[in-house]
Amino acid sequence: MERVIAETVAERTIGAEVPADLNAEFEEESVLRERMPSNKRKKKRINTEEIYGTLFAAIPLIGFCIFGLVPLILAFAMAFLDMGTGWDITSAEWAGFDNFVYLFSTAAEEVGISIFRAIWNTLLLGISTFISQILALAIAYLLSRDIKGRGIWRIIYFIPYVCSVVAITIMWRYMFNPSYGIINQLLGNTDIMNGAIDWTGDPIMFYVTINIISIWSGMGYGILLYTAALTNVNQSSLEAAEIDGAGPFTKFFRIVFPSISPTTFYLLIMGVIGLLQSFTVTNVFDKTGGPDKNGITIVFFMYQYLYDWQNVGVASAASWVLAGLILVVTIIQFFVSRRWVKYD
Amino acid sequence: MTENYEVPVAAPAPEVQEQAAPQKEVRSKPPKMRSGKKMNMISKAVIYAVLAFYALVIIFPFLIVIITSFKTWQDAVASEFSWIPPMGFTFEGYREVFTYKASSDSTLPSLVNGFFNTLLYVLPPTILGLFTSSLSAYAFSKLRFRAKKWLYPLLLGTMMIPGTIMIVPQYVIYDSIGWINTPLPLMIPGMFGAAACVFFMRQFYAGIPDSLIEASKLDGLGYFGIFFRIMVPLSVPALLAQGLLGFIGGYNDYLGPLLYLHEDHLYTLQVALNNIADTFERRSNVVMAASLVALVPMLIVYFFTQKFFISGIVSSGLKE
Repeated sequence: MERVIAETVAERTIGAEVPADLNAEFEEESVLRERMPSNKRKKKRINTEEIYGTLFAAIPLIGFCIFGLVPLILAFAMAFLDMGTGWDITSAEWAGFDNFVYLFSTAAEEVGISIFRAIWNTLLLGISTFISQILALAIAYLLSRDIKGRGIWRIIYFIPYVCSVVAITIMWRYMFNPSYGIINQLLGNTDIMNGAIDWTGDPIMFYVTINIISIWSGMGYGILLYTAALTNVNQSSLEAAEIDGAGPFTKFFRIVFPSISPTTFYLLIMGVIGLLQSFTVTNVFDKTGGPDKNGITIVFFMYQYLYDWQNVGVASAASWVLAGLILVVTIIQFFVSRRWVKYD
Repeated sequence: MTENYEVPVAAPAPEVQEQAAPQKEVRSKPPKMRSGKKMNMISKAVIYAVLAFYALVIIFPFLIVIITSFKTWQDAVASEFSWIPPMGFTFEGYREVFTYKASSDSTLPSLVNGFFNTLLYVLPPTILGLFTSSLSAYAFSKLRFRAKKWLYPLLLGTMMIPGTIMIVPQYVIYDSIGWINTPLPLMIPGMFGAAACVFFMRQFYAGIPDSLIEASKLDGLGYFGIFFRIMVPLSVPALLAQGLLGFIGGYNDYLGPLLYLHEDHLYTLQVALNNIADTFERRSNVVMAASLVALVPMLIVYFFTQKFFISGIVSSGLKE
């Protein structure tokens, strides 16, 4: 914020000193300017800049209004409409809270899964977000030590980020296959569970499998941001703490962790928002929603109602549940963050 | 140019060293005692072992995919995984990938068709979106207009709205204007630019001195002139990083194409890949070959541009 203010102040002073355009075309005008009060002259010059500036700046917002704001308003309305089967809004009738009632209770009877189950699935499948963040910090901490080939390690660790989730999921599904996958074979050699784990068919192991895939593909981003944040940790206060006899754990929790807390907070917020919207891994892994429908996340639920069953009212109601959930979690995180996030 | 661009990322390090240097001279003894060579060797070995193990975890699946893709399908689904397949290596999987057509009337193999579709759908909005985003960023950082005060927070606010909550109404709208089964829903919105990209480019443009802008104004450059002659050439690495991020996002997108495109000849690479994985369910060599073919273009792009790429991600992730 301070920088913004400083900028505008600087701009204003420059603007006041430098006369507008010194082109030949404006010669007449500049003669006039001498007679005019400076106030008016400034206004005339600002006008074109005002127009161009607003125009340039507004393009992304115009796009958002058309493709974001209109749908948002419509989504709110559609949650209270019964559009029958199909996506034709002209056939809509007022439905009151029917869609929400269906979402929370009737859906469980009719298709075997209510929005509560979808939320529960989403949370269990999203545990990976927190695990991968902790592991990413650990790896980044090691990378920040005095080691060789930091760049090469980083390049390798970041590979999963650029790979498509579809290809990664297909790849892991092959490796997790209970009958011919290499993972059970590796585990079989070490006598863990005799290598007979049903990674893809057992409802509980399904959660584990999806989480492993998500950790593997999600760590790279965290490692990258944490290594950058760790280079900013004040070395002199670390040395001072060492002289005062602080051990590695004290040093980490008292000095390193507070100084990287903004990064932790950013990753946490982004991670939670991302995990609440997860869809691709479970959809690619098992189109039908996994064993016991444990792969049906909130977005998967929305997708089924929107596309497979063409019940737009319920899908809209579900998207409001999702929006509410994201809003609540974000607000909680912002409030809690006041206690532990330190911006210098 | 490159060094200039990396300044926001790399800058803190030299500062820190400068601060630390004088103290080191004074208290050179304690650190030396701490880093006794034996301790260092052991802890270093542990660190390298952990890093190498993690690198192996990353690379291992790719090895499996590569080996499997060159197997016969019998070897690929054999209950015992073989590093050297008993039936020998074969191009069977790749042959299938590059000949399989989901519908008989299509001219190109599904996966190749999907690849070109992806480029067709992703490149125009990426390039045009980059242009509109940076034009907007230029206005926010270098032009004076009254609406700036509320437009910018508003724009940043739109970043907080998660995209998935809009898919239902968007689908209804696109359906009513006949955009379903066309790539338009994937292309047109992106052309207006992205708030995150505006934010990043604005940070970058703030580093370009105002005096340069004023000087070029005196030389008779208009607003577009300044943008194209001054701002764009000075920000090529930043634009490249943002363009790459946008391209990767579009290339790997799955939910969008899955929702809006319902015909074989329109499918993107990711959707085509998933369909191949379903069609050839029992022939893992074909599935693995298809996955690898879908991954390789992005991996090549990544290895050649990782410098821009990594710095772009770091600086767009580190706010303030």
